[in-house]
Amino acid sequence: MTAGSPLVALDEIRLSLASAAGPVEILRGITLTIMPGETVALLGPSGSGKTSLLMVLAGLERPTAGRVELAGQDLGRLDEDGLARLRRRHVGIVFQSFHLIPTMTAMENVAIPLELAGDRNAFAAAETALARVGLGHRVGHYPGQLSGGEQQRVAIARAFAAGPQLLLADEPTGNLDGATGRAVIDCLFAEHARLGTALLLITHDAELAARCGREINLADGRIAAERHAAPRRRAL
Amino acid sequence: MSTASRLDGIRAGHPRSQIRYAFRLATRELRGGVRGFRIFLACLVLGVAAIAGIGSLTEAVLAGIRADARLLLGGDVTVYLTYRSANEAERRFLANSGTLSEVAKLRSMARSSDAARRSLIELQAVDGAYPLYGEVALKPNLPLEQALKNEGGISGAVAEAAVASRLGISLGEHFRIGDAEFELRAIIERQPDAAFGALAFGPRVIVSQAALAATGLIRPGALVNYEYRLKLPPGTDEDNWARRARANFPDAGWQIRSSADASPGLQRFIERVGFFLDLAGITALLVGGIGIGNAVAGYVASKTAAIATLKCLGASSRLIFTAYLIQILALALIGIAGGLLLGGLAPAAIAPLVSGLLPVELRLGVYPLPLGLAAVAGLLAVLVFSLWPLAAIGRIPPAALFRDTIAPARRPVPAPIAAIIAAAALGLAALVIMSAPDRRVALWYVGGAIAAFALFRFAGWAIVAVARLLPRPARPTVRLALANLYRPGAPTARIVLSLGLGLSVLAAVALVEGNLAIEVETRLAEHAPADFFIDIQPDQLAGFAEIVRATPGTSFAEMPMLRGRITRLNGKPVEEAQVAPEAQWALRSDRGLTYAAEPPAGSHIVGGSWWPADYRGAPLVSFDAELAQGMGLKLGDTLSVNLLGREITATIANLRQIDWARLGINFAIVFAPGALEAAPQTHLAAVYTAPGAAEDNLVRQITDRFPNVSAIPVREGLEAVARVIATIGAALRLVALITLAAGILVLGGAVAAGHRRRVYDAVVLKVLGATRGAIAAAFLIEHGLLGVVTAVVAAGLGTLAAYALVTGPMRSDWVFLPMPLAAILGLAVVLTLVFGFAGTWRALGARPAAYLRNE
Repeated sequence: MTAGSPLVALDEIRLSLASAAGPVEILRGITLTIMPGETVALLGPSGSGKTSLLMVLAGLERPTAGRVELAGQDLGRLDEDGLARLRRRHVGIVFQSFHLIPTMTAMENVAIPLELAGDRNAFAAAETALARVGLGHRVGHYPGQLSGGEQQRVAIARAFAAGPQLLLADEPTGNLDGATGRAVIDCLFAEHARLGTALLLITHDAELAARCGREINLADGRIAAERHAAPRRRAL
Repeated sequence: MSTASRLDGIRAGHPRSQIRYAFRLATRELRGGVRGFRIFLACLVLGVAAIAGIGSLTEAVLAGIRADARLLLGGDVTVYLTYRSANEAERRFLANSGTLSEVAKLRSMARSSDAARRSLIELQAVDGAYPLYGEVALKPNLPLEQALKNEGGISGAVAEAAVASRLGISLGEHFRIGDAEFELRAIIERQPDAAFGALAFGPRVIVSQAALAATGLIRPGALVNYEYRLKLPPGTDEDNWARRARANFPDAGWQIRSSADASPGLQRFIERVGFFLDLAGITALLVGGIGIGNAVAGYVASKTAAIATLKCLGASSRLIFTAYLIQILALALIGIAGGLLLGGLAPAAIAPLVSGLLPVELRLGVYPLPLGLAAVAGLLAVLVFSLWPLAAIGRIPPAALFRDTIAPARRPVPAPIAAIIAAAALGLAALVIMSAPDRRVALWYVGGAIAAFALFRFAGWAIVAVARLLPRPARPTVRLALANLYRPGAPTARIVLSLGLGLSVLAAVALVEGNLAIEVETRLAEHAPADFFIDIQPDQLAGFAEIVRATPGTSFAEMPMLRGRITRLNGKPVEEAQVAPEAQWALRSDRGLTYAAEPPAGSHIVGGSWWPADYRGAPLVSFDAELAQGMGLKLGDTLSVNLLGREITATIANLRQIDWARLGINFAIVFAPGALEAAPQTHLAAVYTAPGAAEDNLVRQITDRFPNVSAIPVREGLEAVARVIATIGAALRLVALITLAAGILVLGGAVAAGHRRRVYDAVVLKVLGATRGAIAAAFLIEHGLLGVVTAVVAAGLGTLAAYALVTGPMRSDWVFLPMPLAAILGLAVVLTLVFGFAGTWRALGARPAAYLRNE
């Protein structure tokens, strides 16, 4: 990747999945670029293909056609372990249902990507990351002992721990109440600001979308509309 | 009735409508199929089939013994006399009672004509009426009488194939027994009354009564057993006849057996083996019970939302509990029926394998008693193991619907359920004890099973506790593996219990067997004499000693030997005395006994004092301390012994602890000098040879000079013992393997139940950038750790049990044998890894996107 080149480049991405009633076309030719440090909100009705697009971007789903480039690497040329290594270095993901490992403490959960990357100070870094999201006092707690908001903050700390260039978040506040959701989003944007990480957020929340530099609307597997939302953000 | 009022009735808890509604709920739930219950059914089918199969097989053999009773006994009744034949009056009485057949049995030496080869044999001399029932099958197919008759001055003999091969002779060739020459006319293929179970030291040879007289073996005091078989006139009551025989000849000292009691040794043996194998079946059922419990717990957990929904809609915990109990019982019925079908058919499949080992034909059929026992045991096991996890239904709060992670209410199991579990467990224990031929062993088994469950449960708990306390490993894969051992709901403790039980039995069997083999093959053999010589006549003793002394490197010990039966303990007939099971063998038939001025070597006097060497007073006896304890006898009590029809009552002067393992000459009953010298007797000698001594030559010289004397090579005896140990070992290994099979089912169930969790972990780790190799390593380390800890606990407990057995009841020295334990460790790790790998492989293949999308 060279300076000025996009962090993510999708070219004519198509995805169809098998179903009992025959193949279903989920993505129908998506072309999209995301620049380093950019914030993008992905909106659209249920079934429009948002989560599938996120999966393709993260290398968790292989497109039926088209080309995905992430940090200068063609994902189509990488095997499963290669994709895992690429995620380890460049991508953090935050899910609606947190997906923490229940048998590990908050600190151990956050330390995993660092340890996988061979970081010798994984635990110290994990502790700092947790303190940054306001959970310095909960490092030894298991997911089952934390509230939903706290679990999502652990997930955010984990996603940012290895300093990724791209953070993907799939409705990160979907399972949280309003106040807790806002705190979590503040946390997310604070980390983005600190690390200069590009953000791609799937959300139904117009207010949250407005905090992003760009809004992309998906409908029926296609990009229906795209606009830069910076002026509205200022208006808030 | 309106819907509302019907629901009111159910909510109000009207018992009949509750149960009817519970049935309806249960049938609706069961429509989903029995997918989640495969392990439940497999565990139940295995346990029930094992019990039903073993029980049916035992019954088939016992029915065979009953059906072939007259063949086994050789007549309707048989009268046994030891050491002497029937006198004139007795013989007349017997001959007048029905058709009489007389058989004499003794141990002897057969020699090839050139005296180059010899073999110890079990010699049987039969009359023309033999056999009264059945036929002796010979090869070539000759009538027995024709094969045995004297042709041209040479008597015929038929023998087991081993005699021909040991003597190196073929059919038609000659060999010698005692002073007589015989022609081998045929090989015995099958003998209807072949003895079973005894340690036979030599193969059988049958000759005619007339030919036996020519051997010169029948001398005073010779160890000959006489059997008088009778075919009674139709309609004769056998027991009545036996009573009359005893009343007419009260001093005959004969043992009378009727066809109702044809082969008590074989019957006892079959009942014992059947019982021990039954315990194996029960063990398999108990271990499988853990799998049953796991399956029920998993089922209840998977139904949390459904149960919470029902509670939100107003169903009581009791109604839901009843509905789920009905489902479990319905599945139990399916499992029990499957087990009974499999177990009922098993004897037909096994029959060809065991029929060669038994002297009777198996009577295959449907035997309701073992099938009923298996069904009841299966049902009780299901209740014991499934009620506890079912009770969790009461702890599922309706709020579970609204919150993902909710701590279940900590409430004890309701008292009525706890009471039913306790009653079912007691019922299972009572079933084992009541159906056992030996209640004491059954009680030990029940106690042992409870102790083993408690020990392994504790071990599982301890492993979980230790894993939790260990410092966190730095590598996330190892940390994940370790954490999976103690995470909430981890099957660690249950796997350690279920797999560990089978493995520890396997370890204990291997160690005990190994120790016994070392004892028999090295230590016993080191101190044991090379040969025993039996039937040495008093006037042959000097000549015998002369030959031994003339052979360099040899020495010998000898004692007079008589045979007699213990008839009274403190004046009370033995039939009426209370005797512990471990001492009953000494009362079952005639025993060897002796008299001595000095205590026999290998005895340690533990009570009373030895008599003066020149003692000539009232009869005194020295008795085995263990037998005395079993018979409730102490110093000063009296023991009456029937010797050839003469009863001698002696006072117990001292008690001896006897070291039988020395394999020297020793007797449980030793009389003081003065009482027995005049009775007909022979001498028993043990000859010790230094390595390299001409043992073969010595045996040849002695048996050539004294053809009536038989040499029993101790090596052959030890080999026979080693064979018995190997057979028992094989049976015990089978027990361990059935238990292990149940343990493997539980392991398989636990791995399957953990599949969702493993897929979740794998997906999350992949998202975070873990490679497949790293994820596989984590799962394999988890299962490897589980295998290692299970094996270590099993090896430890197995070693402890083996040590206790070897140094305790077996009174042997303990040798630690690392190889069997290493094999157990390997087996455990391989088992857990194979199952773990199978589960992991599927988890690794899961597509993260599909999983995350569904979430």
